[in-house]
This record gives sequence, structure tokens and C-alpha cells, in this order.
Amino acid sequence: MRKAIMLLALAGIGVMLIYAVGEMPPMGDSGNPDKTHVAPRYLEHGEEEAGASNVVTAVILNYRGYDTMGEVAVIFCALCAVVAVLGREKTGLSRTHMDVSRVKASVVVRTTVRFLVPVIIFFAIYIILHGEETPGGGFQGGAIIGASIILFTLAFGLPESTRKIPLKSRVPLESFAVIAFLAAGFTGILFGANFLTYIMPGLSEHAAETIRQVMMMVIEIGIGFAGGIIFTSIMFAMIREDKYELQPDSS
Amino acid sequence: MDWTLNLLLLTLLLATAIAVIRIRDLLAAAIVFSAYSLVMAILWTQLRAPDLALTEAAVGAGVTTVLFIITIYRTVRKED
Repeated sequence: MRKAIMLLALAGIGVMLIYAVGEMPPMGDSGNPDKTHVAPRYLEHGEEEAGASNVVTAVILNYRGYDTMGEVAVIFCALCAVVAVLGREKTGLSRTHMDVSRVKASVVVRTTVRFLVPVIIFFAIYIILHGEETPGGGFQGGAIIGASIILFTLAFGLPESTRKIPLKSRVPLESFAVIAFLAAGFTGILFGANFLTYIMPGLSEHAAETIRQVMMMVIEIGIGFAGGIIFTSIMFAMIREDKYELQPDSS
Repeated sequence: MDWTLNLLLLTLLLATAIAVIRIRDLLAAAIVFSAYSLVMAILWTQLRAPDLALTEAAVGAGVTTVLFIITIYRTVRKED
């Protein structure tokens, strides 16, 4: 009986969904709602109003700036929750079960990682700094940086990794995204414009352009590096195991 | 040509999505989920959304898979 009702309900939802798909306008049609409201303005005025030739960056860092600030805060809150529950690792002392395993990462893996990680980080920095003009930006570059550090940790072990990127250099970077975003956002308000305005009123064109570029760089770099470090910290907190900790005097 | 590639990718997407739900071994499910993210990333580029494709490839296929695998290692591998 329950199964019959369930099947009936599912069939009803399915019929409605198929009906709705039939009513949808053709994909890519110029009369669609997504191309008639805000999109034309973003496409036509994005470069002069937001100052980024990549429209996605213009939307993320200017038109929908509050959304992005919320996202940055969400990532930071996730890190806070993980650290509150699991605690921090001890620099150079925390180990994982992989570090004490008898099967070490092979020479092939270690050499590949050693050659690959610098290239990946270089690519991530390119994505962060070039997000204004090409696809990419702070979030994407940050995720790639985080992934490269995770790769390094998996091949060389947690003690090596925490010695290279110790806790005391990570802590200031973790909150940098939120601080940079708020600082850049409220600079606009201080100058009498809106939140996250890059083009300050009452300045010469050349000075305004320089300020705009500097502010955008600060936000992109802030989101990028902070995002990467936050991913790294979450991973370190999750992977470390207390029972395998090295004794400080034995090393 | 474009059409066949999209059809192939969408079929693969559906297959991996169903596989993630059906597989009882959580480690295998995490790896299939990473394959799902990779197919999704290629689809985002097909839909002319390279920004999203970059995010999907780095976060979906890379970072979350590692976090899932760490979590599975520290809990249980089999779903009951």
C-alpha cells in the first residue's frame, strides 16, 4: 500500500517535471529571463563600473560583493568549527598513520611530487593574479594551493609539512581574507561611495585606476592565500593522530 | 560531434551519480564521487563556464575527496 502511494507520488512529480521541461524556453535564446534583466547591464557596464574585464570577477567582487563576503566568512567559520572540535597539530611533532606505516611513499611518488608542487603553486598564483581578465580568481587559486599542499603532505608526511608551513605563520593568514575584504569594502564607504566601490569619487582618473587595481589585487590575494591555508589547516587538523605523536626530546 | 560528446558526458554523469548512491563501500563511493566531479568540470567548460569548471576540478575532485577519504579512514569503511 505504502509502495503504491509512493510510486503514485513519484509518477506525479515526474509528470510535472517533464511538463515543466517542455515549457522551458530554448537554451541560449536571447529572450530568456536570464538575458533580459541584470545580465545586459553586467555585460555592458561591468568593465567601467566594477573594473574587471572578466564579467564573473566583476559580479563576484563587486555587484554581488555581500554574497562573496558571506562565502569568505563561511569558509573561515568551517575552519573555526574543525579546530574547535579536533584541535591544532603540533609543529613538527604530529604524525599520521601513514607516517608510521611500514609502506612509505615510493621514490617515484616523492620525486614526482617534488617536481610537480612548485609548478602547481605557480599555476595557482597565475590564476589568482590574472582573475581580473581570465577565468579564475581567489577561490579557484586558493583551492589549487590547498590541493598542492595536501599532495605534498600525502607524499612527505605531516611532520615535514608542518615544519615547512608552521602553525604560527598560518594563523595570521587564515583570517586575512575576511579582514582584507572588510577593509576594502569599508574603504568605499569611508570615501562616501557604496560598499566595495573601487573607483573613488573625487580623485583624478589615473589615481583612481591605480587604487582600483591595488584594492582588487589585495582582495584576490587575500581570498586566494587565505583559502589555500584554510584548506590546509582543516586537512592537518583532520589527519593528525594523537597516539602517534613524536616526543620532543627523542627527535 | 559536440552533441555526441555532451551525450556521452551526461550519460557518464548519471551513471556515476547512481553509482555513488548504490555502492556500499564508502571508499569506492568517494572515488566515484571524485570522477563525478571531473565529468561535471568538463561539462561546465562545455557550458562555457570556465570559472566554475576550475572550482569544480580543484574543490570537488581534489580537496573534498581527500577530506572524505581521511574521514572514512577515521570512522568506518562499510555502510550498513
